[in-house]
Amino acid sequence: MEEKRAHNADTGGQCSVLGGFLPFGLGLVLSLLVGWWLSPKLLFSEQSQPVAFNHKIHKEEAGMTCSDCHYFREDGSYSGIPTTKECADCHEFPVGSSAKEREYVNKYVKKGQEPDWKVYQMQPDNVFFSHAAHSLENCGKCHTDWTEKELCSTSGCHPDIGDSEAPPKYSENRITGYSASTMKMWACEYCHAMPDHRAYNANNNACFTCHK
Amino acid sequence: MGIDRRSIVKFLIGGAVGSMFTPTPWILTDDISIWTQNWPWVPKNIKGVDAYVPTVSKLCPSATAMLVRTVSGRPVRTMGNPEHPLSGGKISPLAATEVQLLYSPSRIKRPLRKASDGGWKEISWTDALALLDEKLGFVKGSATRLAVISGDQTGTVNEVLSGFVASMGSKQFFLMPSEAQTLARAWELMGGAGMPGFETAGSDYVLALGADILESWGASTRTRRAYCEARPHGEVPAATYAYVGPSCTNTAVGADIWVAAKPGSQAAVALGLANLLIKAGATSSAPDFAAFKALAARFEPATVAQLAGVSEANLAMLAEGLQKAKAPVVIPGSEFGQGGSVAAAAAGMALNLLLGAYNQKVGLRAVPEFAPVVEKAMARKDVMANDLAAYMQGLAEDNKARPEILITYEANPVYALPGDVAGTVAKIPFKVAIAQFMDETATMADLVLPSPLGIERYDDVATPAGCGVAIYCLNTPVIDAVNPAANIHGGDVILGLAAKQNANLGFNSFKDVLAAKAKAVGANVADLTAGKAFVSEAVTGAQPSLAAEAIAKSLEAKAPEGAYALAAVNKLGFGTATTAVPPQNLKLVREFELAGTLMYVHLNKATAAKAGVAQGQKVTLKAGDGKAIPALVNISEMVMDGVVMAPCNLGHTAFDEFAKGKGANVARLFTAQVEPGTGLSFWTQTGVAIEKA
Amino acid sequence: MSGAQQSFKILWGMAIDLDKCTGCGACMVACQAENNLAPEKDASKKQRVMNWLKVFELSNGKPFPDHDTAYLPRPCQQCGNPACVPVCPATVTKKDEEGGIISQVYPRCFGCRYCMAACPYKARYFNWYDPEWPQGWDKTLSPDVSVRPRGVVEKCTFCHHRWMKAKDKARVAGNDPYDLPEGAYVTSCTEACPNGAIVFGDLNNPKHLVHKLAHSEYAFRLLERLGMDPQVYYLSRREWVRRLGNHHLENEKTGEFTPLGGGHHG
Repeated sequence: MEEKRAHNADTGGQCSVLGGFLPFGLGLVLSLLVGWWLSPKLLFSEQSQPVAFNHKIHKEEAGMTCSDCHYFREDGSYSGIPTTKECADCHEFPVGSSAKEREYVNKYVKKGQEPDWKVYQMQPDNVFFSHAAHSLENCGKCHTDWTEKELCSTSGCHPDIGDSEAPPKYSENRITGYSASTMKMWACEYCHAMPDHRAYNANNNACFTCHK
Repeated sequence: MGIDRRSIVKFLIGGAVGSMFTPTPWILTDDISIWTQNWPWVPKNIKGVDAYVPTVSKLCPSATAMLVRTVSGRPVRTMGNPEHPLSGGKISPLAATEVQLLYSPSRIKRPLRKASDGGWKEISWTDALALLDEKLGFVKGSATRLAVISGDQTGTVNEVLSGFVASMGSKQFFLMPSEAQTLARAWELMGGAGMPGFETAGSDYVLALGADILESWGASTRTRRAYCEARPHGEVPAATYAYVGPSCTNTAVGADIWVAAKPGSQAAVALGLANLLIKAGATSSAPDFAAFKALAARFEPATVAQLAGVSEANLAMLAEGLQKAKAPVVIPGSEFGQGGSVAAAAAGMALNLLLGAYNQKVGLRAVPEFAPVVEKAMARKDVMANDLAAYMQGLAEDNKARPEILITYEANPVYALPGDVAGTVAKIPFKVAIAQFMDETATMADLVLPSPLGIERYDDVATPAGCGVAIYCLNTPVIDAVNPAANIHGGDVILGLAAKQNANLGFNSFKDVLAAKAKAVGANVADLTAGKAFVSEAVTGAQPSLAAEAIAKSLEAKAPEGAYALAAVNKLGFGTATTAVPPQNLKLVREFELAGTLMYVHLNKATAAKAGVAQGQKVTLKAGDGKAIPALVNISEMVMDGVVMAPCNLGHTAFDEFAKGKGANVARLFTAQVEPGTGLSFWTQTGVAIEKA
Repeated sequence: MSGAQQSFKILWGMAIDLDKCTGCGACMVACQAENNLAPEKDASKKQRVMNWLKVFELSNGKPFPDHDTAYLPRPCQQCGNPACVPVCPATVTKKDEEGGIISQVYPRCFGCRYCMAACPYKARYFNWYDPEWPQGWDKTLSPDVSVRPRGVVEKCTFCHHRWMKAKDKARVAGNDPYDLPEGAYVTSCTEACPNGAIVFGDLNNPKHLVHKLAHSEYAFRLLERLGMDPQVYYLSRREWVRRLGNHHLENEKTGEFTPLGGGHHG
């Protein structure tokens, strides 16, 4: 042992600064590259939505509002994405001249099938999310400057696609199967665990507030 | 500079340090932990829109009205229907699992033909019906060569079935034995009109003579609503409930008073009570009151104590309770819902007449029948007079001509009839089972035709047995049939066959029969279709007799042999002969009801000491003619002295891994005998020996 | 364990009239259908069978004919001073939400079963196997309750999802979700019982029947002397049932006993 150490110190002495750091630095840089650039690319698979839904046309040309499709049912549940049957109220036959609409009508409306929508913010089964609780009536009591659009998208829950002409890509975690934009618990707790919010509802960060 | 060991180590350390400054290790750890929470074989929630669709259970003898919860059309579960008189928002333990039974492993999914090697061959509906049509051609016009057994107790399908039998020239249409038949025969002997019903809602004294009214007797969910109403939480009850029977059934537990009486001793107890009531001044304008009085006079409390094991004090207490009550009702019945004595039913109904509880709001009520719609259908009276147990016994003894074709409609006689009829049924050359589940009878059949479940089909429910008011309900399919090849109603099968045999019943489809029935009932069809019940509180008929002569004659029946009396108990939670124990309901079986494949029979400490058996000991219960079942002993003080209690609906040899081979079939121990004076078979009195195995 | 009990404005609770329960099991079946419990092929192996709600048979211990029977449905007692919560090393189970229902978050649970050992009511069940349904049956599962895999502990939640839904319904209708009328939220077993033996409601709300019943002279709670402070009350006019419910010693008068733990405020 003594001998070996002495030998190393002898021969490596000249380039000890560079040669000592280079392999380390190489490893460091490489792993940083893998960690920040490559692994997110490998971890997520990008997918397209089955239907090229155009929010903008529906709003501007058809004059629809958000709640025409995304509404609360009488039992308190939230409709989320409209069903093919609801879409067929207008689209039983193509109403415009776009090829994409024709494709949608042929593929889904005529066959009575639901598109396999990828939900950007899909939560796992153990989460109960109440849309009714996260309303402007509740949150807007203090956040008086919020609009509905801000409530839904700017707080990080939904991508802001209300005015988009095509749905953004959906990226899915290959290990978990969750969407890349699925909110983590810390993101929910950003509001739920906020001390300011406790005055409004003393127990709003209890486990069963969100879990089932 | 070469690549030496040290630089590789440095490279790796650099890599490790670098990775600490990236999110990857933390994300991977998190992702892997999430991955372990979502195994692909654990089912995921399927979201959708809730809807609650009304229907009435065709599987559960309680005929509980239900709401089927569907999520975007997918059935999820059944719950009670708050708007319906057959539920009041509540549900029976059997009806509660009806959605899950859609996917029972025992369900028959398509027509099956027994192959020559004993296995099953799937055949098409066309082939199945052609085969049956051909066979029927050979029996047309014969009074004996066709027999049909129906397990439906409330549906108009019985009109179609009996009409078909009649137009084929036979009268051999039978219902599976039930309380309805016992009551109908007794009511006929008493000269009553319509159907006898018992109303407990508003009563201040309800005496159940054997009938397990809070569990398996009649429309029990409805009966239990009345029980609930009379007993506000934590307060002194507004009604006294008394149960007379050999074991502490669920009704006895819910009742204020349990009076132990030997199995099948209802007639003696009723006559004993009549004796005390008449002595206290009760009377009746019935034509045979004098004869009944003389008969009752023979049943002094001491005699009743000897015959039924009811103490004199208890008998006096019951009589006093009835006498003091403002609105009493007496409900007679078999302890396990079948094979009851007609004389006992008549004696029990006679008590209501003596108490003046006849055609009032509470008590015994002559409920009008709904008019039949299938012209050729046999009269209800004639159907009720057909004694299936006696017929099977006749076939077994070669006293009766053997049929060439036996069609069973949602009935499981091979399992449920008293004794063992498998050998008799096996000898019938061509057996057709219209069934939902692969039960014992279907297993023996030559041709099996699948039947949709109640929630998948059009059907109806008319006044369940013993119900105090006339009720009619129409069922429409709640969901699409889960097995597309099992979506033809037995009624449609029969109508089609009838047309081919030139025995036209006047209807093209069973749906048309139901439409005609709804019209005949006088109900608003739109309301019925929307799941509302038609209810009529009207009563019919004049003064019935007390059937004194028939009851007197019935006393000549031979007493059971055997050291111990057998008391069977029927719990809806354990299913019926046609459903067996549903998978979910298997969890209702208590620790001392089943151990692996052996079931427990229950006897009290004194009886066990007499028999020389101990807790957990394996025994064989033996009845006459070499009938025997194995069991384990459970010492329970819920059974009277000298009695062995055993549960019904265990010990299936067919069905699936949930029901098959669990316990023993207590019906194997029964022997039916035709009751003198009333002419209907009964099997509530069975003597058994307990042998150590 | 801090010892201090959190107080709640709403306290969901039950009053089960044991004189009205006939042991039919409708509640147990309704519970399984509501909460996605898988059936069991050998249900006689009681150590392995999962019943969030179980109906026990009680006996007065006397020989026939003086014998008497009662049936006792046992859901999770949602104790005010629970034994299961402080022993959980993974913060799976907590009593921290308005309403006082003890939560159970399955993905957090790693199956140590300390909570099962701690629970004096044996209300907790361990998934010894992955849940298995006959083919096609999994299509009938309720979307309201997540399906639990092998290796985690589960228990009755007073059908907590029904409260969530009732609150949402109230919100959409413009009503106060924390002031539900009686009956707007009931458990599946309460709803099913044909005898109406179970009354469910807010123990703190004088407008709810259960509030009154909890103070009935016939009311008692299971093993009350342990100081668990359960939110499930039982009623019986039969003294032996009330004595059995609390394992009274022969020399103790009914309803009078020395509490063993803290937190008792009977």
